[in-house]
Amino acid sequence: MSMNRPDETAFHAWVDGELAPERAAEVGQWLSQHPAEAARVAALQAQCAGLRALRAEVLDEPVPPRLRRALRRPPPQWRWPHALAAGVMLCLGMGLGYGLGDRAPGASPQADALTRLPVFVREAAAAHAVYVPEQRHPVEVAAQQQAHLVQWLSKRLGVRLKVPALDAQGFHLVGGRLLPGEAGQARAQFMYQDAAGTRVTLYVSVLAREDRAAAAPVAFQWTGDESARGFYWIDGRQGYAVSAALPRERLHALAEAIYHQLG
Amino acid sequence: MDIDAALVHIPRLRRYARALVGDAARADDLVQDTLERACQKWALWRPPTAATADQVQAALRGWLLTLMHNLFANQWRQAARQRTIDWNETREPGHDPTSGLGLRLDLERALALLAPQSREVLLLVGMEQYSYAETAEMLGIPVGTVMSRLARAREQLRRLMEGEAPAPVTLKAVK
Repeated sequence: MSMNRPDETAFHAWVDGELAPERAAEVGQWLSQHPAEAARVAALQAQCAGLRALRAEVLDEPVPPRLRRALRRPPPQWRWPHALAAGVMLCLGMGLGYGLGDRAPGASPQADALTRLPVFVREAAAAHAVYVPEQRHPVEVAAQQQAHLVQWLSKRLGVRLKVPALDAQGFHLVGGRLLPGEAGQARAQFMYQDAAGTRVTLYVSVLAREDRAAAAPVAFQWTGDESARGFYWIDGRQGYAVSAALPRERLHALAEAIYHQLG
Repeated sequence: MDIDAALVHIPRLRRYARALVGDAARADDLVQDTLERACQKWALWRPPTAATADQVQAALRGWLLTLMHNLFANQWRQAARQRTIDWNETREPGHDPTSGLGLRLDLERALALLAPQSREVLLLVGMEQYSYAETAEMLGIPVGTVMSRLARAREQLRRLMEGEAPAPVTLKAVK
């Protein structure tokens, strides 16, 4: 009984053990009747053995400390996907709204992480946690009166505010409210919602000079907590925090859309 | 699961990267970038459900290799863009390092002459012993492409190592 010459990929699949037993037996039998091809396939097997053994000594080398550190320590700066204007400081705060209750300093890694965050980010997390579950009064001024909302909050914060549109990302503006900062400053919160009812808040604060300086060395933090996460950044005098219980990519896309509209 | 679980995979990643890029320092740079990327993306890593500890570790290694592939692919895409520009601008002939090559090469040097995509497939299947399906998933290409690339790469490698003239490489000029 003779069969047609198996095609080239079949020889490779045979060498790699990728063929079903029946087909493998056929190819094996064909090779046993074709010594020249069998020699070529044997060379193939030798090549595979060479690759398997290649650089095996690296496995026994001690792991360089810098590679251990790469896992242990967050990277020195968060790499935003697009080059952002120089002078804009971008920070990433994760785990907003987590463990904001009675937290003693050093009580948990999360609490530690939170105390290292700039004040306005903690305020943003608290405001997010309080108003996002609100059913009847999520905002003070609804989106229908957007012009009034912007004018009012701009006046109270002392800067010209813009309300980014997130419709392209599936979120519509619910409205906004005025909030007190930790030292009695005026802060603004805008709330957005998607069709599924997921809410995103954008918290805007005007920072004092010392706050801007103090906010600089923020490390990348990750709590693994699913309830609320956020990105924040400081652009000139203003600090922005975007919070939502969303996967990081989606939140990132929102933060980026907001950043570009505000810039 | 903690990201420290990735620690045990570093030796394998280093070895794979060494075979992939050749130079030891550049290989460790690639591993470092991969581990940093893994830190950033850790929240996205989902261990397979109802899996044994070994299967979870295998899945983690596959995830790390996928991250490494993405970084590596970015590198050679950038390099290729650079080369294309150079070639268009200078029209310098005789840049093909394999032309007129008539000597037997050891495995590593022969490997270095293959296209980066060929090396990846060869090493994932040959060195790391991944199945075609797993390799396809990591590289984000169809299984059929893995098979054809593998057959072509092995043939090129054989020719280089046996000192035969390599199959002509078609150079695409991007314009």
